[in-house]
Amino acid sequence: MKRVRRAAIVSRVKGLAAEIRWLLGVSLCAILLSAANSAAADVSQGAQIAATCASCHHPTDGGQAIPPIATLDEQAIVKAMLAFRASESPSHVMHAVALSLSDDELAATARYLADRANAGRQP
Amino acid sequence: MTDWTRRQIGGLAGGAMLAVAAPHFVRGQGRAKVVVIGGGIGGATVARYLGDMKSIDVTLVEPNSTHVTCFFSNLYLAGLRSLASLTFGLETLAEGHDITIIRDSAVAIDPAGKAVELRGGTKLSYDRLVVAPGIALKFGEIEGYDEDAAKIMPHAWVAGPQSELLRQQIKSMDDGGVFVIAAPPNPFRCPPAPYERASLVAYYFKQFKPKSKILILDAKDKFSGQELFQDAWSRHYPGMIEWLPSQFIGAIKAVDVAARSVVTEGETFRAAVANIIPAQKAGLIAEKAGLTDASGWCPVDPVTFESTLQPGVHVIGDSIVGGDMPKSAFSANSQAKACAFAVAASLTGSPQFPPHLFNACYTFLAPDDAFTNALTFAPEGGRLKTVKMFISKVGESPETRRRTALHAVGWYSAFTADVFGGGS
Ligand SMILES: Cc1cc2nc3c(=O)[nH]c(=O)nc-3n(C[C@H](O)[C@H](O)[C@H](O)COP(=O)(O)OP(=O)(O)OC[C@H]3O[C@@H](n4cnc5c(N)ncnc54)[C@H](O)[C@@H]3O)c2cc1C
Repeated sequence: MKRVRRAAIVSRVKGLAAEIRWLLGVSLCAILLSAANSAAADVSQGAQIAATCASCHHPTDGGQAIPPIATLDEQAIVKAMLAFRASESPSHVMHAVALSLSDDELAATARYLADRANAGRQP
Repeated sequence: MTDWTRRQIGGLAGGAMLAVAAPHFVRGQGRAKVVVIGGGIGGATVARYLGDMKSIDVTLVEPNSTHVTCFFSNLYLAGLRSLASLTFGLETLAEGHDITIIRDSAVAIDPAGKAVELRGGTKLSYDRLVVAPGIALKFGEIEGYDEDAAKIMPHAWVAGPQSELLRQQIKSMDDGGVFVIAAPPNPFRCPPAPYERASLVAYYFKQFKPKSKILILDAKDKFSGQELFQDAWSRHYPGMIEWLPSQFIGAIKAVDVAARSVVTEGETFRAAVANIIPAQKAGLIAEKAGLTDASGWCPVDPVTFESTLQPGVHVIGDSIVGGDMPKSAFSANSQAKACAFAVAASLTGSPQFPPHLFNACYTFLAPDDAFTNALTFAPEGGRLKTVKMFISKVGESPETRRRTALHAVGWYSAFTADVFGGGS
């Protein structure tokens, strides 16, 4: 039962993510046209929510006890967050965070983090 | 007055170009100006996030060149961390995040004229002002406890020289001495911290001065995380920590510095070392600028953190009437981000979304035994209300507690990088 619900949420998130990807594509063109903007921090919804992740997840350190999230892909983030939302264990901090995000907010945040990771991987 | 600025010739040119290339970001002639008062946790965070947007001129006013974090300062008192490891320069913020830092104190705010006056005489104009001065201690509320008394009976509630003084006193105390902690009334900075302090000093005593005792004279009848603390005290430090609530001892009325004693309504307690944590209120500049209400704290809009008393001025961190949000570094950092996006929205028209406000505090009971709470908040009826709250439980396995203690260390490193702009 739970699993079915989760799967439904995942596919909704996928749909949303596709939509967000398209939107980001459009805004990316706009940014490329006005190149001076490229260094400015993103203020999209995903970026604003992802700012809260940085209170605990180190931007570069991988070796700390709190796992790094800077290199995760979108699906991995969504899956992990849905698991955190479902259970207080293993982390009640992440349980609280996951419960506070709507599906749309989660999709936007995962998309933003994954895009940033991708950008970081490019030479 | 030292004026550090990262924006040397090249940086300035970049700033100017941005203004030309993105005129829709610009209000009036130049870039919008934000002044931030206070480079502690809330102020550094808001400056950093606004600076990173690159569309706003950010000036941070802070008298100190470094910030010593209060969080983890109890580990320092117990000899488990150096003070250097808790000290952060503000240069990284200036260099990496496009912020002009002025080493000075704000002495006056003119909300109508949108200007701040600094002790050194400089006047700064702003489009929006963010005030994050932390707490002021209510000296004088306990008779005999003033700034001079704090040099003998330290509060160590603002980390730095006060922490060093208390550490020295604890270190040189004879075995068998009584360490008295006078715990303040609500609301105050970091509700579990007096009890974390008792736990970690007990850890130190247990190793080096096992006949010593800790006496907590409390202005309250209950405290944050009480069950978890009392369980830990009986497991780790049986018979070492005694907690006396206000219903038993009455209010803490006076201190006698020469005798190192604390006088309550009913009794006088002699201490070998006395740590007096007085009642608190918003940082003095907030009071002076008419940002505080009768409670001594600053009422704010819970979405934008704009003062409800002075338009155009935002207040974040310990200084605010926090509603359900505790006065913690985590809260200050969370509020700072919400405030940065709200300020940017008002100045540049960038989008604003409902804020996500959190508090997750790690508290040490022993070096390898820590607990956390995790709370989420949302604005409701003009105030900040708790939505969800989870807290560690009594009876958790030692392995869980050990992992939480490890997480605390990871949190510290990530959190300070987020606030002071390292590591990214
Ligand atoms: C022992 C102890 C343990 C703690 N442990 C934790 C913990 O584990 N987790 C947690 O989240 N929180 C913890 N805290 C609480 C945390 O330290 C504070 O809540 C946090 O520092 C508040 O941030 P702030 O920005 O409001 O104030 P601060 O960080 O105090 O910053 C205020 C800044 O404003 C500056 N300032 C003041 N007046 C002026 C002026 N007129 N002009 C210019 N600058 C000015 C000051 O110099 C200071 O740098 C602890 C506190 C204590 C005492």
